[in-house]
Amino acid sequence: MRSGTGAAVTIQDPVVIIGAGHSGVAVATGLRSRGWEGGVLLIDAENGLPYERPPLSKELLKEGAPDESAVLRKEKFYADKGIARLAGVTAESIDRDGRTVLLSDGTRQAYHRLVIATGSRARPLTVPGAGLPGVRSLRTRDDALELKRLLVPGARVAIIGAGYIGLEVAAAAAAKGCEVTVLEFQDRVMSRVTSAPVSRHFEQLHGRHGVRFVFGAAVTSIDGGERAERVTVAGGTNFPADVVLAGIGVLPNEELAADAGLECRDGILVDGHGRTSNPAVYASGDVTRFTSPIDGASQRLECIQNALAQADRVAAHITGQAAAEPEIPWFWTVQHGVRLQTAGVRHPEDQAIVRGETSGGKFSVVYLREGRLAAVDTIANLADFRTAKRLIAQGARIDPALAADPGIPLTEATSGTPNHSDADLAAARS
Amino acid sequence: MSNNKLTVVDREGATHDLEWEPDQSMMEALRDNDLPVLASCGGTASCATCHVFLEQEVFDTLEDRSEDELELLVEAEGYRECGSRLSCQVGFSRDLNGVTVTLAPEE
Ligand SMILES: Cc1cc2nc3c(=O)[nH]c(=O)nc-3n(C[C@H](O)[C@H](O)[C@H](O)COP(=O)(O)OP(=O)(O)OC[C@H]3O[C@@H](n4cnc5c(N)ncnc54)[C@H](O)[C@@H]3O)c2cc1C
Ligand code: FES
Repeated sequence: MRSGTGAAVTIQDPVVIIGAGHSGVAVATGLRSRGWEGGVLLIDAENGLPYERPPLSKELLKEGAPDESAVLRKEKFYADKGIARLAGVTAESIDRDGRTVLLSDGTRQAYHRLVIATGSRARPLTVPGAGLPGVRSLRTRDDALELKRLLVPGARVAIIGAGYIGLEVAAAAAAKGCEVTVLEFQDRVMSRVTSAPVSRHFEQLHGRHGVRFVFGAAVTSIDGGERAERVTVAGGTNFPADVVLAGIGVLPNEELAADAGLECRDGILVDGHGRTSNPAVYASGDVTRFTSPIDGASQRLECIQNALAQADRVAAHITGQAAAEPEIPWFWTVQHGVRLQTAGVRHPEDQAIVRGETSGGKFSVVYLREGRLAAVDTIANLADFRTAKRLIAQGARIDPALAADPGIPLTEATSGTPNHSDADLAAARS
Repeated sequence: MSNNKLTVVDREGATHDLEWEPDQSMMEALRDNDLPVLASCGGTASCATCHVFLEQEVFDTLEDRSEDELELLVEAEGYRECGSRLSCQVGFSRDLNGVTVTLAPEE
């Protein structure tokens, strides 16, 4: 389907964007809002209109929810903006020197600039039996609809991995009357992204809704005849299951770039403008790896904030403009109706300070690094989220004793004066 | 159903006249018309980047803000008790034809 080539006649080849997820679509819209008049072509392997991924493990799985995820933009928008789309078409290879992309429909598409926004895919389970029917992962709208069909009352659901997605599905499954067991190798939930008090809080919350956790569980096989019937863990214990969901992280879809000789290292390497090692090729979103402007760490960030911020930088660079000030990295998850919002990127060695009583259901954990606010987890506490996000951006120094008192607004828990100077920030960003 | 007219005052004080289509939330009307509304949460009252000020007469006609919306707003720069809304939580309605909204400052 080719739609909306629009009025702007291209005097040169279009900007070709591979992948119409959050990042790819944001590059396209960003180019237009920044006045780009050349062609813009979005290519995506998936059919239909580009859509929101966060609801796939949240609203969409709910009983009675419509079988669709909100679209990123309505169809008419693309036509109005002169953004052409090819849906259901995969980019197979890139010819860097010829500046063309070979597509699965057999055509070759020339580009002025190429943007690789191919995102990531669910990390596949590799144990024996992982290919049995009933073993699922969750990344696309089709995955979500299939999973929704399988989550029927009484179904025994084994979830491998207690990350955001595994836990959101656990909550949805429990609400639908499934018998849910979460198998996790670590000793607590969300261990990669949060501190122990937050993990404990969510374990208890899930426990109250009937979700069972097995920690220290290394899955060794999935067994069954026609379909998955049980999951076996090291030591030999097995857990009966009608549905198995693997939520064990993601892998960047970098092969296209790697095959074209672009530098990749568990993610396509990009600079602060989203440029790859080839000057005509950019990358943005989940597929990239980059150096954090905040702490110099090499990182991949799998969140909407990053998908949008990098897209803006790419659109800015292509049009020769300055990028907007990005939001601080942030993330949200909703489990059993309880909202956890995180801002900043926590390091395990950060000083963690709990604000408020975890038993009250509303609290925050602030993370300090060298005295400055580096990250925050807020549980049913959006006021702290909002404030902390601003303070993190400012590099605010926090007094640990004041921060521990939930009666004192975070803005009043700042100490000393020297926040990051503008010069520090500029130096960190360049 | 026909479109609403919407007048928007941006952060520089310039005004824009938009068509607000019946299948759009107010945020979508702003975002899809190239106003600088990031809407990073896709309209789920999580990010607060879609904060706008409404005139009090208009504000008073709308349903109350949810607890999440209110919490995100009270800490926002320039919060107005009787004017601040997350535009993603304001649905299309005939009664809102011709209103003026002002984009709240970015943080
Ligand atoms: C279930 C779920 C829940 C989530 N919840 C949240 C949340 O609450 N908050 C949050 O911040 N983030 C959340 N995320 C993460 C967030 O969705 C991602 O960070 C974001 O989608 C990344 O955007 P992207 O454009 O980089 O990649 P994607 O959205 O993955 O888009 C990439 C697109 O590229 C296409 N593609 C790949 N290879 C090719 C090819 N060779 N040719 C053509 N097309 C190709 C794919 O089909 C895909 O459509 C969630 C993710 C999932 C799966
Ligand atoms: S779009 Fe995020 S709060 Fe409105």
